Amino acid sequence: MSSLFQVLSRAFGGERGTGVTVPPMDGALRPNQALETAPAMFRQERPDNLAKDGNKLLFSSGPTLNAMEIGANHKAPAAIAQFDSEITAVASDGAGGYAVGLDSGEIVFGGVLESLSRLKSDVPLAPTAMAFGKQGRLYVCSGSQNNRPSRWKRDLVECNQSGSVWEFEPSSGSGICLASGLAFPYGIAVTGEEGTLLVSESWKHRLLLIGTGRPSNGGVPKVVLDDLPGYPARIAAGSNGYWLAIFAPRGQLMEFVLREDEYRKRMMETVKPDFWMAPSLSSGKSFLEPLQLGAIRTMGTLKAWAPTRSYGLLVHLDMHYQPTSSAHSRADGSRHGITSCLQWEDRVLAASKGGNLVVSLSIDEFRED
Amino acid sequence: MLLLQLKGVTKEYRGNPAVKNIDFELERGEIHAILGENGAGKSTLTKIMAGVVEPTAGVMTLDGEPVSFSSPAEAMSHGIAMVFQETSLVPTMSVAQNLYLGEEKFFNRLRGIYIAAQQFLQSLNFPVDPTRDVASLGAAQRQMVEIARSVRANARIIIFDEPTASLTPEEKGHFFSLIKRLVARGVTIIFISHALEEALEISDRITILRDGEHVVTDRASAFDRDKIIRAMVGRTLSHEVYADAGTRKARTRGERVLSIQNLSMGSVVKNTSFSVYAGQVTGLFGLIGSGRSETAKIIAGIFKRKSRNGGEIRFEGRPVRYRVPRQAVKDRIVYVTEDRKIEGFFETMSIMENLQVNFAAAGLNRSQIVNMAELRQLSEHWVKALNVRAINGDARVVELSGGNQQKVVIARSLLQQPRVIIFDEPTKGVDVGAIAEIHQLIDRLASAGLSVVVISSYLPEIISISDRVLVYRQGRVVEEFSPQEATTEKIMYAAVH
Repeated sequence: MSSLFQVLSRAFGGERGTGVTVPPMDGALRPNQALETAPAMFRQERPDNLAKDGNKLLFSSGPTLNAMEIGANHKAPAAIAQFDSEITAVASDGAGGYAVGLDSGEIVFGGVLESLSRLKSDVPLAPTAMAFGKQGRLYVCSGSQNNRPSRWKRDLVECNQSGSVWEFEPSSGSGICLASGLAFPYGIAVTGEEGTLLVSESWKHRLLLIGTGRPSNGGVPKVVLDDLPGYPARIAAGSNGYWLAIFAPRGQLMEFVLREDEYRKRMMETVKPDFWMAPSLSSGKSFLEPLQLGAIRTMGTLKAWAPTRSYGLLVHLDMHYQPTSSAHSRADGSRHGITSCLQWEDRVLAASKGGNLVVSLSIDEFRED
Repeated sequence: MLLLQLKGVTKEYRGNPAVKNIDFELERGEIHAILGENGAGKSTLTKIMAGVVEPTAGVMTLDGEPVSFSSPAEAMSHGIAMVFQETSLVPTMSVAQNLYLGEEKFFNRLRGIYIAAQQFLQSLNFPVDPTRDVASLGAAQRQMVEIARSVRANARIIIFDEPTASLTPEEKGHFFSLIKRLVARGVTIIFISHALEEALEISDRITILRDGEHVVTDRASAFDRDKIIRAMVGRTLSHEVYADAGTRKARTRGERVLSIQNLSMGSVVKNTSFSVYAGQVTGLFGLIGSGRSETAKIIAGIFKRKSRNGGEIRFEGRPVRYRVPRQAVKDRIVYVTEDRKIEGFFETMSIMENLQVNFAAAGLNRSQIVNMAELRQLSEHWVKALNVRAINGDARVVELSGGNQQKVVIARSLLQQPRVIIFDEPTKGVDVGAIAEIHQLIDRLASAGLSVVVISSYLPEIISISDRVLVYRQGRVVEEFSPQEATTEKIMYAAVH
């Protein structure tokens, strides 16, 4: 009876009965200030994708690929490659080779893999995340067929679901599509389970398991974590599970706007993208930004729990892909827009694209309460 | 100077003594606290003084003259009034009408009694509008009207039974200043309380009863919290009941059973969101009126959320919307009320009959015919499991002490085999011994994998039993603390600011 009511309710009035709802940040996602108070490893303009190559940390920043020695020969970051287009994905094979995805759609190899040809696919790519698998295979998330990765905000506001996940054979340059019709896949990790990939589907706030090899082998992607309170970005394998970067929070007002087609259309036509009612990597920098549902500042106090367009969130997942603990930078913080993370021995590094720095946290901070 | 004296007073119900051979002395102009566990005989003793019940044996003297009261009216004519936990005011009548109830003239002019009531309330410095209906007053203001009625009847002795149980901290402060003003006017006060700090703070002398017998009477300055508890229960329970902040380790979080998303109802529950996990105690703290109980009642299908944009409740991942509590009970979500006397049980029915009602409501009957043998077995099981101190399952609930009544209410919910159980103020009006038992029970339920939600306005309780503390403010959850982080200061800051 109640399911019949829900069907009729949706048919005749949408979901007005429940309204716009957003899952709470509690339990494993309980807000704290761990990200905000973590030591800054280094400051860099808009750091994005982190990757580990031996004892070198590779990371992108705009069109520049940087490297940094960590350990006994600790050195300041230095540029190792410069591209014409913004770097939107980086992957390392751990043996001196790396692949770089560009906003133009190209995937370029470097280091010991420099001799490899460019990759081919049936459709234009928009690489958002990449990972090397067994036998040098490269797995690529293509965020959208409609927009380049740098125009992710437009892709969200247009409610596109044209993303895909690809498997490439770098030596031949040929690739196969493992899954398509995804709502902006933005993170990928090779799992411990044979032949499966963990992929974050950002606009649907969930994580999927996708099979590798021929699409027929993989079958339908399996949802392993749903209803996240933010937009997931890149995933990194850790010693005891996975790390998930969440680059922006979900908010009731933003969710509401995503249901209002006419409003969105007019917003895109008349307002600059920076000031759209949409998630953001950082906020509070201009008075032109849209107001939020709640008062961020009340009686002179910046409310940590106020809803914002930007947020900093790094989540630890267990081996079953369930959250166990998290580190936050809240409304009153600045280390927002966490787009990438990486475990480095007993520490986890997180790139705050909105806060222009990379932070380093001890994994002990992610122990369950 | 002695005002009232009881010597060798005994009161028996069906041969069972409620108070045994008690000696009690009340000095003129003092504030005298009577403390004891539930069932210790505090209420019976004060009811004897107020003429509500007659003693089986013993002598009572007032101003040196022997007296015996066969009704509260007779006690009142001697200047002894009692203010009960549940006020005896008529909610649909105005404050003034309640003050002058029973004294109406043939041509009763409301304007006249409003003016008289206004003057009288002002003389007591009680900020209550005499024209307002009692139903619209808060708990503290109702107490004031009740006190005003006693003072108007020239009461020399006013007995308060748990006067602060339903008051906010601010209202309590106000109430204590009222008591001091009454004492200054020459009124003598007896008050029963379970809040030991209050007794220590306000009273001049303290009498402690245990199992219907007098244990000790002394100046309040001669007691401390531990000494009172030792006298009340015969052992030290303080650390057993309320663990110190920061010392507790949370249980491991199980799967997310309930997800409350942007729930709204009127102006009471405003866009609140939180989750409840299996195998944990989720504590909800907030000031009275912050919307905790209302949220719990929406979850349990007692109240309805807003019909449009009212948010969503997900139980085990699927959206649910209960229109009546029965639907929630079918999903094994049960709510243990804070107001047990009104909503918790049928007081004139026996324990067994009360259990039967919930048994049937949960659809656990195997047939249409009630199997008395099965029910008797059921009631005996729960009486034993929860250590309900009653002669047997046939005992009427009204005859039980507060703590045992609460255990019956809990048993009624537990027999419905819940997956989620919401306790609303589980130890309100419950003695220290029963508090420890109820806390242990809550602990056992969570350890057995149930999702337990505890709503409490008492900070030491919420800190000591919760695996997570969620703080409510103005209709929504504003902060979450782990047991290690939770301190009274942090929680209160989040609840108030």
